[in-house]
Amino acid sequence: MTGPAFRDIDRDDALGEAVERLYGCTRAGLLRRAAFGGAAALLATLARPAAAPAAITDVEVLRFGLRFEQLQATFYTQAEELGTIGAMPPAERRWAQTLGAHERAHVKIIKEVLGPKAEPAPAFDFGEANETPAAFTRTAVAMEDLTVALLGGVTPRVQDRGLTAALLGLLTVEARHAAWARHIAGADPAPRPEDEPMALADVQAAVDRTHFVVERPRMGGRAAPPFTG
Amino acid sequence: MRRWPVPAALATAAVVALAAGSAGSGGPADRDGPRAAAALPAPVTPAFTPGPPVALAAGRHVSRWAVVRRPATARSAPDPSAAVVARLGVRTPEGTPNPVAVVARRTGADGRPWVRVRLAILPNGSTGWVPRTALGGYNAVRTQLHVDLRRLRATLTRSGRTVLRVPVAVGAPGWDTPPGTFYVRNRLSRYRSPAYGPVAFGTSARSPTATDWPAGGFVGIHGTDRPDLVPGRVSHGCIRMRNADIRALARLMPVGTPVVIA
Repeated sequence: MTGPAFRDIDRDDALGEAVERLYGCTRAGLLRRAAFGGAAALLATLARPAAAPAAITDVEVLRFGLRFEQLQATFYTQAEELGTIGAMPPAERRWAQTLGAHERAHVKIIKEVLGPKAEPAPAFDFGEANETPAAFTRTAVAMEDLTVALLGGVTPRVQDRGLTAALLGLLTVEARHAAWARHIAGADPAPRPEDEPMALADVQAAVDRTHFVVERPRMGGRAAPPFTG
Repeated sequence: MRRWPVPAALATAAVVALAAGSAGSGGPADRDGPRAAAALPAPVTPAFTPGPPVALAAGRHVSRWAVVRRPATARSAPDPSAAVVARLGVRTPEGTPNPVAVVARRTGADGRPWVRVRLAILPNGSTGWVPRTALGGYNAVRTQLHVDLRRLRATLTRSGRTVLRVPVAVGAPGWDTPPGTFYVRNRLSRYRSPAYGPVAFGTSARSPTATDWPAGGFVGIHGTDRPDLVPGRVSHGCIRMRNADIRALARLMPVGTPVVIA
């Protein structure tokens, strides 16, 4: 088994789609297909200069990283507070608690680095994704795989070398998380000889499609109070 | 965390040097190997290093709530065929999103997660089970408001510590403020009703006597244009505070806060 069935991980299967793009349709796969036909077309594709990447500042990278880490940290924290993690066997519980503690540490440090440029945390709605150990584990695998792809994609775009070094430190830890999560899920911890990077915009689109990030409900109003007085 | 300690860097340099020395044919380039390795630049210092893993904060005083995301039927058990307790809409009578306090979770008879929630219906204290999919994301609060009907005072705590204590007026005899555990449903302001002061919180408590009141007789927590009656037993069931106190409460008490009236 190379990976869990991602279809039922999240609403609209957004993370699943993203991860399947990573592990199901890779550049290597493209090359293999080309070997059996359409080589000329492939060569033409590869020969085209890549579109110039949109300029992105280091602060923007960190802000997106913070939001993504907040997504993960809240996912693990909520699962622990709800008792989902407590219902898991000891080895799985240790895995989930460790990852939660790491993600919270990542949130803390990125917020500190951004300082006043850090944006407030959005609201999250994980639906059923962290309600049961099985759903939680499958979603965690997809999230960690996606994080590795995200960091692989944005780290080379960062201007500051010290920041690049710091993000590499996070990337390697997230890769360990992904492998550990896959092992817990009964999936191949290292299904491919390489991890494919993902553009920040693609990760953003995948996260958007999960609907995990939601607008905070506005619980205030201006209606005349109809209360008993 | 990720800074290379000096011994590790030296060890790495040694490994590189050994590899260079053993893989070559013994020519001049190989003799330069150790020196070349030593001349390699040190790793770039990371701009930041995360601290230690952050343990989960104590959850003793955490309460959860969620808004009703789609119209749902609350049932007596986590089972689609269980008896109907109430029907939940997505809006309160005041037009705000309709929140419910989360009491418990369980996998239902249909194999899906269900959530037991407090209901803003009579009799007070009613709960019901709704499918998890009917609710939005969980929100957490660490505050709790205690209303002491005997001493006529309200105490707000955060994480178990008192942050505000103010005098209140409660229901007059025959219009008693109902005892029980409830929650704050919304926060109204900038309306033109001086009798309610500058801010009014809606709660899930219902007056068992004022049932023909507009919207069904919900108990509110609000300010007043008669501060001289606070503290006292003068209302139709609502909890009144002086306007300065309700303003202070509005700064400290989020929607979803449990309200214990005793």
